[in-house]
Amino acid sequence: MKLCEFIRPATLAQARASLRKLGPKGMPLAGGTALHFMPGKTPVSAVDLTGLALSYIRQKGNFFEIGAATPLSDIQRYRSPRWAMHEICRRISTHQIRNVSTIGGNICRVFPWADLPVVLLAMNARMVIYSGKAKEMGADEYFSSQPARLFRNGDLLTAVKIPVLKAQHGFGSVKATRNAAAFSMVTIAALLELKDGRIAAARVAAGSAIPFPKRLRSVEAALLGKEPSSETFRAAAALAGTDAKWCKQEGMSAEYVAGLAEVSIVDALERAAEFARGRTA
Amino acid sequence: MISRNSKSFSLSCRVNGSELEREIPSSRSLLDFIREDLGLKGTKEGCGEGECGACMVLVDGLAVNSCLMMAVQLQGKELVTIEGIKGKDGGLHSLQKTFLAEGAVQCGFCTPGLIIASEALLRRKPDATLEDIKLELTGNLCRCTGYEKVLSAVEKARRK
Repeated sequence: MKLCEFIRPATLAQARASLRKLGPKGMPLAGGTALHFMPGKTPVSAVDLTGLALSYIRQKGNFFEIGAATPLSDIQRYRSPRWAMHEICRRISTHQIRNVSTIGGNICRVFPWADLPVVLLAMNARMVIYSGKAKEMGADEYFSSQPARLFRNGDLLTAVKIPVLKAQHGFGSVKATRNAAAFSMVTIAALLELKDGRIAAARVAAGSAIPFPKRLRSVEAALLGKEPSSETFRAAAALAGTDAKWCKQEGMSAEYVAGLAEVSIVDALERAAEFARGRTA
Repeated sequence: MISRNSKSFSLSCRVNGSELEREIPSSRSLLDFIREDLGLKGTKEGCGEGECGACMVLVDGLAVNSCLMMAVQLQGKELVTIEGIKGKDGGLHSLQKTFLAEGAVQCGFCTPGLIIASEALLRRKPDATLEDIKLELTGNLCRCTGYEKVLSAVEKARRK
């Protein structure tokens, strides 16, 4: 990567206009860590988004709204009774990188090892995109393929809206790594809604061990109407291979990854159920 | 809108307590700026991709890997390198004293990064637990001392 220009817009409109004018060589910049993963001689004109008041977390109605340029360390430290995002942010990379990396950078261009897309799919988050005016897009549509497709004409991600968990909701996530700072081998996130002792709704998503994060709809379907027990979770997790073709990774066969994913799905569901029971108690 | 449509950028920031204005190449990494332009060689280059922590510095009080930042991102901010870590009397900082006392330095290559990371933690959380210290230092690789003496040194500095 070769940074040949550094632009500091004063408004979102100016930022968008600059990116539209620059075309493919324009790159929105917040934390900037992704710059270092770009090929050596690629000329880049950076449009700095850090002066546009896009770093914040606030509760608005039924959503927590996180500004796109909010560092992961701020999300990790934020606390509220119906907030669960800190759990996964604590597990992303090292503290020094979390001080710089932003939620927007993590999800505008999704790298295979990214954890937040998995969590946002499970949580049914909504992304706010500025295209001259603000528009919202649900996680299923946003992560249906590489989100970078949405920003080629200069549009910008400005915020992520996370639904506030209700009393009967439970959330759990699991990130399997070799050590604390390593990239994920498999990441699983699960959101359960319990009603009268049974699972009324479920969203389960996976990432890292598959080419692109996705929901595990066969697993979700197998959970509906069942009691949230270990047996239920194990039976549902056994169906994950229907939804995802697990990829072999360094030092791990595809079979091993599939086993790791199934165990991680059960663990995430157990955590979600425990969370939900804690809320209803 | 500020645009530097050239190969250089007029950087204005604070470095180790002093105001600094400098024309720099836009493509300069923060690490190269510190070592090559400012001549502050205490900040080390290890992996060059944010994994080892040898290049760690404080930007606005937060520990960051300088190999993963561009120098232009320092605009309007305060940089503290290991050369700016001092005791109140201008001598050794309490962390530097405890690292020496505990024998937490062997080859010394990782030590500036470890001191910076520890300082960031103790500024933010003066009563940090051993678990906090371990978590904070997950981004610092040391291939010599095995960490026990490092952890002990940070714990002792915490009490000073």
